[in-house]
Amino acid sequence: MEIRPILSALLRSKTGALLIAAQVALTLAILGNAVYIVQDRLAISARPTGVDEENVFFIRLYGFREGIDVPAMLDADLASIRAMPGVRAVATANMAPLTQSGWNLSVQPNENNPDGESTNTAFYFSSEDLVDAMGLELVEGRYFTPDEVQVIEPSLANIDPRHTVLSMALAKQLFPDAQSYVGKAVFLGDSRMEVVGVVERLQSPWAQLGDAAERSMIVPIRQLDPVAQYVVRTEPGQLDRVMREVEDHLVAARDDRVLLRNTSIQEARANRYRADRSLAWMLVAVMGLLVLVTASGIVGMASLWVNQRRKQIGVRRAIGARRRDILRYFLVENFMVTSFGIAVGLGLALALNQLLVDALEVPRLPLAILPAGVVALWALGLLAALGPAWRAARIPPAEATRSV
Amino acid sequence: MFAYYFKLGLRSLRRNPVLTALMVLTLAVGVATSMSTLTVLRAMSGDPIPSKSDRLFVVQVDNQPAETPEGEPPTAHLSWIDARELLEAGDGLRRTAMYAVGGVAEPEGEAGNLLVNGLAVGADFFPMFDVPFRHGGPWSAEADARGGTEVVLSAAFAERLFGDEDPTGRRLRIFEREFVVTGVLAPWQPMPKFYWLIGGNNRFGETEDVFIPLQTAIANESNPNGNVNCSGDGPEPGYTGLLNSECVFMQYWVELADAGERTAYRERLGAYVEGQKALGRLPVGERSRLLDVREWMVEQDVLGDDTILQTLLALGFLLVCVVNTIGLLLAKFTAHAGEIGVRRALGATRTQVFQQYLVQAGVVGAAGGLVGLGLTFGGLWLLARQSEEVAAVAHMNPVMLMATLAVAVVAAILAGLLPTWRACKVVPAIQLKTQ
Repeated sequence: MEIRPILSALLRSKTGALLIAAQVALTLAILGNAVYIVQDRLAISARPTGVDEENVFFIRLYGFREGIDVPAMLDADLASIRAMPGVRAVATANMAPLTQSGWNLSVQPNENNPDGESTNTAFYFSSEDLVDAMGLELVEGRYFTPDEVQVIEPSLANIDPRHTVLSMALAKQLFPDAQSYVGKAVFLGDSRMEVVGVVERLQSPWAQLGDAAERSMIVPIRQLDPVAQYVVRTEPGQLDRVMREVEDHLVAARDDRVLLRNTSIQEARANRYRADRSLAWMLVAVMGLLVLVTASGIVGMASLWVNQRRKQIGVRRAIGARRRDILRYFLVENFMVTSFGIAVGLGLALALNQLLVDALEVPRLPLAILPAGVVALWALGLLAALGPAWRAARIPPAEATRSV
Repeated sequence: MFAYYFKLGLRSLRRNPVLTALMVLTLAVGVATSMSTLTVLRAMSGDPIPSKSDRLFVVQVDNQPAETPEGEPPTAHLSWIDARELLEAGDGLRRTAMYAVGGVAEPEGEAGNLLVNGLAVGADFFPMFDVPFRHGGPWSAEADARGGTEVVLSAAFAERLFGDEDPTGRRLRIFEREFVVTGVLAPWQPMPKFYWLIGGNNRFGETEDVFIPLQTAIANESNPNGNVNCSGDGPEPGYTGLLNSECVFMQYWVELADAGERTAYRERLGAYVEGQKALGRLPVGERSRLLDVREWMVEQDVLGDDTILQTLLALGFLLVCVVNTIGLLLAKFTAHAGEIGVRRALGATRTQVFQQYLVQAGVVGAAGGLVGLGLTFGGLWLLARQSEEVAAVAHMNPVMLMATLAVAVVAAILAGLLPTWRACKVVPAIQLKTQ
């Protein structure tokens, strides 16, 4: 291999080579970090809620007159929604996953624990079958029976639940060593709740980062607020129609309330992750431009080198170098420059990541992602150099005689 | 001479069209990404009330339980117990407690019932935050004290209900009560809505529809329309239970005559906390604090990490574009070596060649800036899709417009330094010989 002569030629005109290497290094540093951030954000925004998302929506109406007979209002609404075609299940619910507002409380796995080994959890309540209405998967125990439902008038009493269904993540957090959870007790202040069942997954309304999003519990409560809130699960493919019909019906049913919100879980998901997804796509766009700019830089510089050396190429060809020797020369030269840039770029990528981790809430770059970046930049460099190198190889030996 | 070099620079744009186009485009996309993200960053970190941001303070009375770990910041809101005591003490130039209320308005006529976002505030709120009025004005201190039925409407809400007419003195049924309109705001949208940052998902969005006296909201038992955080045993049932509890849901602002009074106010706050401690409240009350507007915005993460992140990466991209432009300018100027040789042979000094080619680089930058400006508008349009918050601030303004052009020219001149230096090192004799 002719590495030594290429290297000595490079060392004679360092400027261009250093510029390309610098560009490759910066590209690798930015690309590596951006790719990982994109991956991370898209993964976060794809986390499942545990709900049958394609077929579930959440509707809230506010009864604004004083003195509304709340139980009668809820029962009438439930009965009429249940009777509508395409409705599979309906339940009252104080909140729904991904809708970004709701109840958050802290509970404890044992009594008399004033020092507070407490765990924050999303606090769902319903007086009907929420597991059925959300399409959750019950993996242990059972759901509540109707006689376990507590009716609470908030101006007169605070909630005091006796039974609960936990999400698997919350159960594991509260009882890390247990094999099964049914029959265990969970404490909310002075209230002792017996665990009657566990669902595989039920995300919180906020879908925070990390495990906090997965910790949630359901209790059998009907709170007599004048806000009517329902989770409705439809037959497959009928969501849009049922959503519209339920809304029309509930709005028309009484003149003492206004619609607060009607959202499918899928819409709520798009809303919750809008910023994450558009940041990801913004970074993808910058990455695309970055690759184009770097490639054009390599093409430009390689062309310049070829033009500067037309005569030398002609001479080499005239004294016996084959076309592919010339092609190889330029490709190897480019490979060396790119490799130097990549070596520096690996360090830069880690340094940039350190900076981002220190200053912002950005996850640490896993080293496993870097080899892919290295290979991609080698490929980019070779592809970009191929054209100019090909043109160099077409330079005829006669070029040696053109000008002196 | 500059004009002549400038003309030469313009002419040379046409000389190597492909190379030139590549340079202009590279600079343009680099500048556009940086400037669109910087525009958002700048708008989000702006000072919403520059004239008094250093003498308006959020008061955080920390009423968390004794076992709260060291270093945990005080709760962002405070309880009505503390808000009431501070209001009664009457310290500072102006002061107001506030909390968000929601409900339904039932206007007369065809409009139909509509949802209303409200803020329950004291009369001081309006002069404190320099709130502009179009009609009427705030309610009186006396109305504050008795819990009057006065209401101030936002410009947009008044227009929706009453059109262009002055509704001052008109009656309006909201929150199941009769109110009398005492004033209508002129369009007012501080960026961000610093006086009420918690709860609600758009901190750069419209202001509340209506403002009612705090005492009125409390007398009406209007439930907070926002976060309520309770530590310890939680409240007794009902609205009275909430008021008498350690649950936090209120914001308390104080305006001091000048920033220097901060220490004195802080000391008086300390004395208040000591007094409450003697009554058995505020176990970690010594962590209570004052934050001015800017500190409060930092504390509340108004400028999100993602905004900083995308700006950093965009600036990194601009750096790559500049490095790329260095290479391309090098290629372009190398092709001019013959011409430089002739100029030098005809008597141009190195300095003159240096000036000429630096101006040429600047002209490329200006072209890149013009194209980049167009792309910046596109970039802002794309960024606006991230969230309603970004959409509210992603607008070009004259400062950023000029900055975009300036950044492009400066970037090109920086990129041009090395190639220009090389250009003026051209030895005339060699060039003339090879011609």
